[in-house]
Amino acid sequence: MYKITRKENLNTDDYLIEVEAPNVAYRFKPGNFVVLIAVPKGERIPMSIQKAEDGKITMFIKKLGKTTIELDKSKVGDSIEQVIGPMGNPPEIKKYGNVVFSSDLVCGHAENYAMCKELKKIEGNYVISMQTFSNRSQIYPENELSKNFSDEYYLTTLDGSYGIKGHYKNVLKDFLDKGKIDFIFAGGDLPALRDLAKLTKPYDVPTIVTVRQVMVDATGMCGSCRVFVDGEMKLTCIDGPMFDAHKLNFEDIIRRMAMYKKKEAEAMEYYNKRNKSIE
Amino acid sequence: MAKVNRIRVPMRELPAEERIKNFNSVPLGYIEEEAVAEAQRCIHCEDPPCEKNCPLNMEIKAMIKEIGQGNFKEAFLIAKKDNPIPAIAGRVCPQETQCEENCNMRKIGDPINIGKLGAFVADWAMKNKSSEEFQIKERRGKIAVVGSGPAGISCAVDLRKLGYRVTLFEALHKAGGVLQYGIPAFRLPKDIVNYELSYLQKIGVDVCLNSIVGQNILFNELRKEFDAIFLGTGAGAPRFLGIEGEKLMGVYSANEFLIRVNLMKSYKFPEYDTPLIVGDKVGVIGAGNVAMDAARCAKRLGAKKVYILYRRTKKEAPARAEELQHALEEGVTFKELVNPTKVLGNKDGWITGIELIKMKLSKPDSSGRPRPEKIAGTEFAMELDTIVDALGTKPNRLFLSRTSELETEPYGGIKVNGNLMTNIEGVTAGGDAISGGATVIIALGDGRKAAKSIHEYLTKLYR
Repeated sequence: MYKITRKENLNTDDYLIEVEAPNVAYRFKPGNFVVLIAVPKGERIPMSIQKAEDGKITMFIKKLGKTTIELDKSKVGDSIEQVIGPMGNPPEIKKYGNVVFSSDLVCGHAENYAMCKELKKIEGNYVISMQTFSNRSQIYPENELSKNFSDEYYLTTLDGSYGIKGHYKNVLKDFLDKGKIDFIFAGGDLPALRDLAKLTKPYDVPTIVTVRQVMVDATGMCGSCRVFVDGEMKLTCIDGPMFDAHKLNFEDIIRRMAMYKKKEAEAMEYYNKRNKSIE
Repeated sequence: MAKVNRIRVPMRELPAEERIKNFNSVPLGYIEEEAVAEAQRCIHCEDPPCEKNCPLNMEIKAMIKEIGQGNFKEAFLIAKKDNPIPAIAGRVCPQETQCEENCNMRKIGDPINIGKLGAFVADWAMKNKSSEEFQIKERRGKIAVVGSGPAGISCAVDLRKLGYRVTLFEALHKAGGVLQYGIPAFRLPKDIVNYELSYLQKIGVDVCLNSIVGQNILFNELRKEFDAIFLGTGAGAPRFLGIEGEKLMGVYSANEFLIRVNLMKSYKFPEYDTPLIVGDKVGVIGAGNVAMDAARCAKRLGAKKVYILYRRTKKEAPARAEELQHALEEGVTFKELVNPTKVLGNKDGWITGIELIKMKLSKPDSSGRPRPEKIAGTEFAMELDTIVDALGTKPNRLFLSRTSELETEPYGGIKVNGNLMTNIEGVTAGGDAISGGATVIIALGDGRKAAKSIHEYLTKLYR
């Protein structure tokens, strides 16, 4: 059992949760993720880590389905059944030059924070962070943004109610046109990452993105999270979660991500019914 | 001398139509009278072939004799002495090719049902809370056992009983390895697995779950912290066919299919969170035990038609006779001499079927079985909603890719000598991790052999 030590809303859909997980925290490197089992009969789901400090890890979570909605009901002092990790194969933290991390969704924002924080420590890196939210009210609290770990920071909202109007891709395009970017990391919405790959390819700027396919064991045993990199099968759990965006088959990834949609709805319905009968 | 009964005391089983509705154990187990009667069929050979053919060299003759006299506790103690998990081995060992293979009773009738007798005494002890009494004399030496499957269990138990401090590392959130995630409950009930595993804690083996060596604990850390290591990391990585369309939705590796069902309890979805998608028509590629397990799970999960698709014939199928028989009884259709060439799908990315080519058998290949050959121009399509690839597994590259100092065989298994020592001093390995695909009992035997090797190594080291 892993004790919850902090829990706060990031916006109406996303929340952060901090748990005691000393072994995970001790070994965490940006790009690693954890596998959670929220409750005894729960599923194993991968989750991004924003921060690992003092034997605790902080995760950004979106209320998306049964598990994340149920977990949102927990309070400080409650426990999570299992926190397993760190998982995955993190990228090297080294000198990349003018390096971008851009994100537009909960998991991407967590990775943005974790990566920028470490990239900034390396001499010779000029860290440019970009974060996109749908509107002003959805922007995370300031100290959870990667603002503090970047040399340049761009906050955009899709409706223009705060910061720059539009998606981070627009900002990035300006940079690319000026030839100022050496390396790009990105995480978040899959269709946006696919578009990002298309955008950066003609400029020949290395682009590494986080993709996590549906996982079960997350140790390379089940093959559920297989993706295709240049036609070759890779597992996002042990080979990833970061891959060369220019080599990924995004259509396959996007399609497979939706494989369990019906089942997820069924699980949600069952959960709601059960909660009603308890009330 | 009384006339011996040539025919086995039949094992009562759940009727097929009943069992495809649930995951309860198919064999119901002998009751005391049945076990005694079966044991009394034993002719107590002077030089018992059953014991010679047992990878654990269990004292089978003595065990059966005690059962025949109604001394179940004594029989249990004999079984437990050589086999740390008799209730499991009795259920999943391929007895027909081991202890029961050369049983002299076979010459005049049925061999003794040694497997079910072993399971009977273990179950009896569990029900009657009967256990062995022993004292462990603590001894110098700390040992890490990696993997809590059958090989790891037997190695950990033997070393702990010798007095060493043993820590068992398991990657998943439940111990047991293949016993937990691989073998379905109707063949191996999970309360039996959990009971047998509780023995580890009882004798003082330290079990660390969620510990993925090579990932969140480094192999080098183990080497520093422990005096000897056993690697029972299994063969957990799936194989795919590598044909067109395999990335379509609806294609599962048998590993994923079974992990979802067994470890994550998908068969109780949505009470349990983890889903599994099983369509009306399911095709399982392969004909080993894992293929039978997947096919029988699919049946229980509501599939109307389940096909085993195999490139050879039933006769060459690597599955145990009992498993194949059970699958057929449950309505699984065995399609012989077909090989997949392409997975067919629709524009939404879901599979719609499979294209197969007819095969014929020719001269034996290196496995000794007739080599299947394609018959050109015989491709045909078959409608399917779900495909399960049960093509065997290979060692997990997560562990191996991060332990480059460890020598491996060309097929990916860890390289060991006759004493199961790897190229690194004090590091042993066994089970599927070295063979790529062993049985539970061979893994148990390996664990035991490695324990002996480690004991000899440490004895020399501390002398």
